[in-house]
Amino acid sequence: MITLSQVSKSFDGGTTFAVRDLFLEIKDGETLVLLGSSGCGKTTTLKMINRLLEPSSGKIEVDGRDILAQNPIELRRSIGYVFQGIGLFPHMTVGQNIEIVPRLLGWPPRERRARAQDLLGLIGLSPGEYAGRLPEELSGGQQQRVGVARALAADPAYLLMDEPFGALDALTRDTLQQELLSMKKVLGKTIVFVTHDIFEALTLGDRIAVLHEGELQQVGEKEEILRVPATPFVRELFEKPAKQLAAFGGFFDE
Amino acid sequence: MNDPSWAAFLADHAGELLLRTGQHVVLTAVSTGLAIGLGMPMGILAFRVRWIRAPIVGVVGILQTIPSLAMLVLLLALLGKIGTVPAVIALTLYALLPIVRNTLTSMEEVSSEVLEAARGIGMTHWQQLSMVRLPLALPVIIAGIRTAAVVCVGIATLSAFIGAGGLGQFINRGLALNNTRLILLGAIPAALLALLVDFAIGAAGWALDPRKKAKRQSRQDTTIRAAVICLPFVLLVGGLGAYFETRPDVVIGSKNFTEQLILGHMMAQVIEDQTDLKVERRFCLAGTMICHGALVNGEIDLYAEYTGTALKTVLGREGSADPDEVYQLVSQEYARDYDARWLTPFGMNNTYAITVRAKDAKEHGWKTISDLAPFAEELRAGFTAEFAERPDGYPGLRKAYGFEFGNAKDLDPGLMYKAIAGGEVDVIAAFATDGRIAAYNLMPLVDDRKFFPPYYAAPVVRNQILTEYPELREVLLSLGEILDDATMQQLNFAVDHEKRNPAEVVREFLLSRKLIAP
Repeated sequence: MITLSQVSKSFDGGTTFAVRDLFLEIKDGETLVLLGSSGCGKTTTLKMINRLLEPSSGKIEVDGRDILAQNPIELRRSIGYVFQGIGLFPHMTVGQNIEIVPRLLGWPPRERRARAQDLLGLIGLSPGEYAGRLPEELSGGQQQRVGVARALAADPAYLLMDEPFGALDALTRDTLQQELLSMKKVLGKTIVFVTHDIFEALTLGDRIAVLHEGELQQVGEKEEILRVPATPFVRELFEKPAKQLAAFGGFFDE
Repeated sequence: MNDPSWAAFLADHAGELLLRTGQHVVLTAVSTGLAIGLGMPMGILAFRVRWIRAPIVGVVGILQTIPSLAMLVLLLALLGKIGTVPAVIALTLYALLPIVRNTLTSMEEVSSEVLEAARGIGMTHWQQLSMVRLPLALPVIIAGIRTAAVVCVGIATLSAFIGAGGLGQFINRGLALNNTRLILLGAIPAALLALLVDFAIGAAGWALDPRKKAKRQSRQDTTIRAAVICLPFVLLVGGLGAYFETRPDVVIGSKNFTEQLILGHMMAQVIEDQTDLKVERRFCLAGTMICHGALVNGEIDLYAEYTGTALKTVLGREGSADPDEVYQLVSQEYARDYDARWLTPFGMNNTYAITVRAKDAKEHGWKTISDLAPFAEELRAGFTAEFAERPDGYPGLRKAYGFEFGNAKDLDPGLMYKAIAGGEVDVIAAFATDGRIAAYNLMPLVDDRKFFPPYYAAPVVRNQILTEYPELREVLLSLGEILDDATMQQLNFAVDHEKRNPAEVVREFLLSRKLIAP
């Protein structure tokens, strides 16, 4: 379980806040989506969980332990992270990229190689064909699958995903979302997923936390949020796409 | 001008060319290696520690702006040592800039997304550096190393001035003797070497590029890459091989004027003829103190020195007019202070000679320097820069004779004789053994106040080499008293005026005296 209590983050010494007084609880095994437009503080929140950023005030606990009391290097190695820009190492092969965290953790080479093969299988890339390739030889969708595999390599209990599918085309994004859904069932990971895409949030999230200008607007299951929006912002947020869909409804029917 | 074919010239110099190229490669490789060892950590440090960045980049940049010759001379003065050490230091300093700058820049330019990933998955600072930044920066760093190595090849040609050998040796000798072929013999291989080094490192860099290396590769491809990575090392091993293959037993030095080259060749040729020792000619060192320093440090084993010069310039003693007394004195002092030995002088006395045109002397009845006193006001003098300054030159002369010339200007030694023959000056301080005295119809005046000390040339040899190769002594003694001023004048004239190759002139002379076998 990850808990954030009264967490604030300011980059200018307290004049403005990227995140303000955030209380949030991520239960074991669930997928919580942090939803909001850019600049709302969702990525900042994610980065604070593995100490890529330090909160200005407040407390973050993972499994009941204050993360500020933990070694940041060990903490990061114990949490899988899928980056917005994918961030595969361009000079390493796909296999080496997937093996990197086990390597940092000092696994024996044979074991981590076997792990990489398994994960390549899991993300649907044939190990024989892809393990030796360089990231630049893969398509965007394949690269992001590798990014997910890399995050899963050391079998972490938690997975942080920062708009992982944001840069992909709609079809690929849909495929990857479905893959993630089925993978989630198999793996049983606790996932914090950041997105600005409402449909992605609705597809993937067990619960959704809506952030706006650094403040939490509402957190809850999607039916609940859709039914009883807590603030005007939340209502508008979900109404707009519904209207758009309705407006285009005619085209889709034909 | 004696003009053998290029082929003969090359065949003649092939052995030495190999040695010089070897020295050149070793100089370049050692300096570049040191610059990599220093420059990469400096670049990384500058990258990691922000406040130190500007000072490091600044200092390294300023080093680059120091003219190379000035740098070499400066290091020479600082270290009090000639030869390879100051040369390697100078080259290393020049090679630093491209390596430091490229290391720093390339590490700064690694994409922020990749770096965030490195941090986010839990790499320590050191791991981010060694696993991500450095491998990604490698191609740019190698480009810097490539630049550095090429700069080194170029500047290494200058280090011959301070006795570090290399291809610059040919260039120096060519300049001293005004011989274009010798200059080209140094310059063309140096240029080719620069291209080769550039290519070799470029190829190794291509093979090391992590992105290309990781691509699925056939066995053949892997072999090619491995071979290509070895290129710079092959070059280095070849250089070392050439260097050691031709490594000499005895190193002979000389100063940078004709007579010194002739005496140097003379010693070298008799040693080569009568012993099996391998001789290196490290000629054209820039002046007395450099030769002396080289001898004391064991970088050369022997050279021809003049008694008067040793007394005044090296030992800083007052002069004496008696040749034997001076010889005894320098022998004792050298044996005591420098562990070196003066052997029997060659016989000629290359003192300064105040010289006028023969027809003027006849007209005015000049025989001695004192005879010039009544005319001094109207006479125009031309002196070498060294004579104009040395205590045993013009300053002392004025005091000793109590007059000075109406006009005195500094002239290049080569121009001085032309100037007096052409009537542009009336008096020069010639070298007594210079062939041009006779050729230009000049007349040396008698030093009636015995101002100039004797300058008898003799081999000065390190005792250590005499112990190591005792046969050297006998061989060098065979050159004792074989030259008088007139003979030396002829030999000098053959080189200076007839533009003949000094080695050949010496060979003919030694053959005629039956000092070497035909």
